[in-house]
Amino acid sequence: MRVLMLSWEYPPHLVGGLGRHVENLSKHLASQGEDVVVMTFTDGSSPKRELVDGVRIIRVNPYCLRYPDFITWVQGLNMLMVEAASQAPDFDIIHAHDWLSAYAGIALKHMARKPLIATIHATEMGRRGSLHNDSERHIHEVEWWLGFEAWRIICCSRYMSREIASDLGCPPSKITIIPNGFDPSFRSDAGAEGQDPAPRAANGSGTFLFVGRLVHEKGPHLIVRAAGILKERGIRFDMVGEGAMKPFLEDMVKKSGLRENVRLLGHVSEMDLHRLYSSCFACVFPSLYEPFGIVALEAMSAGVPAIVSKTGGLDEIVEDGINGVEFTPGSAESLAKAILRLIDEPALYQKIVQNGKASLERYSWPMVAEQTRAIYSSVMDEYDRGRWKPSLQRRRSCR
Amino acid sequence: MSDVLHLSWEYPPWAVGDLSRRLKGILPGLSSLCPLALVVRGDRDETLQMDGMSVYKAGIAVRASPNFIAFSQTLNVELARRGSDALHSEPGIALIHTHDWISSIAGVYLATNFKLPLIISVYSTEETRARPPLGVLNKGIHDLERYCFQRAQALIVETEEMKRHLGGQYRPPVGAEVCLTPEEIFGVYRRWLG
Repeated sequence: MRVLMLSWEYPPHLVGGLGRHVENLSKHLASQGEDVVVMTFTDGSSPKRELVDGVRIIRVNPYCLRYPDFITWVQGLNMLMVEAASQAPDFDIIHAHDWLSAYAGIALKHMARKPLIATIHATEMGRRGSLHNDSERHIHEVEWWLGFEAWRIICCSRYMSREIASDLGCPPSKITIIPNGFDPSFRSDAGAEGQDPAPRAANGSGTFLFVGRLVHEKGPHLIVRAAGILKERGIRFDMVGEGAMKPFLEDMVKKSGLRENVRLLGHVSEMDLHRLYSSCFACVFPSLYEPFGIVALEAMSAGVPAIVSKTGGLDEIVEDGINGVEFTPGSAESLAKAILRLIDEPALYQKIVQNGKASLERYSWPMVAEQTRAIYSSVMDEYDRGRWKPSLQRRRSCR
Repeated sequence: MSDVLHLSWEYPPWAVGDLSRRLKGILPGLSSLCPLALVVRGDRDETLQMDGMSVYKAGIAVRASPNFIAFSQTLNVELARRGSDALHSEPGIALIHTHDWISSIAGVYLATNFKLPLIISVYSTEETRARPPLGVLNKGIHDLERYCFQRAQALIVETEEMKRHLGGQYRPPVGAEVCLTPEEIFGVYRRWLG
């Protein structure tokens, strides 16, 4: 099957987790025999066309135009994708990721009269909690539009499925849940350095690690508040990531006298990240909104327990006391208690580490690719049996 | 069955500015010279006969937009959607004609993907509409105008002044032509319609 994948980010240009998701999915689809073309962004520093891991990549550079804001920048990128599609190889199915490629996906669907599949990774309503201005309302309505136009919608968790059904009004029968995959090449070097987690569990040493964007939905402020509650125990936290909340968090750390306890490390290299994972005592992910929570899998892979808020996809990955520890979302007190519980119970720590590694088997990219191919096949079956097709006369010239 | 597909964001009774009045003055006469289809924004999707043309009205799904470019980009996806309906149901359409930049993004989509020639009528540009100094929104519209005009196989204007202005500001690969009557516009069409 020939798949046209639309994504606003793809390596080497990464903003969040979406780019890695599309890369892994495309790579594994290609390895299972699908013909995948990814249409994506370049700032001019990467080739406009290349073949990587069996995936053909076509990049467009939106900086040939000027834009008043992010939404029009995204639309400019989509506009160039639609134009570039006329030069791309023919395709059977279009797969768009989030509202960020909805404009191109919808336009190409109707011009080529080919089915559109949408993966909705997160929603504006979920990210913001509500819709506060025309930009957020626009994104929300484009998400609705994408859901309406898509033949089938893929999301990564039961939580997201409910959110898409309720906030975007999509019929549940149109939504398929495929959990994200986990790349086994993401491994800590703990084993290599002989840093078995057992001694850390026994003496409660090591820091607590947070990895994520410093934005409200990830709950980084809860870590600083929990650090304040646990100040007398001398517990230290390392926070990796950047974001709009960084100046606020720096100020909070300073005013709370927690400079010895909380370090804001900003972006770190992949090697440093692995080192931090392997040397920490446990990871803390206090998200208020989390469609999936790949960081919990990274912690499990590194052999350290994840302490997560009982919300969204995190709650579906982690089972409290079995392969992680859960706490009440938004509560620094509950987070502090969860941290102490893990420090005070070495046996629980060991059990969680062992079960965490076993849990990773549920999140394999080859499995994600197989499930995605099954959706493609069932959509193509329905499409082939239907009447909505390009007219015979247009079939040759179209695209 | 139509030969030429027109795209516009307004046509009576949908009227926002002067463009709908100008099109009402040209399209009925032009449709007596060659069969036309028109895609235009409407309250909902609808196909009807009006002024001798097949009219494909495009309902708009997205209502909230932070600025005019965001609105027009969304509108153009809807125009492309209904334009695709027209092109798939009327295989004789061999030419696309848009009016100002506001519908020309969809014109570029359809022309490149269906491999058809694109004609753009330019009545005004952001340079002539906006008062200096131009803000970032005006500059964004200017760049979209340049993007569209440079992809047209023919540009039609109403005055020599506009013809000079386009040549100087937008540097399109084809020179603009002054056409005032349906017959003159049809003369441009005949290069492709034979």
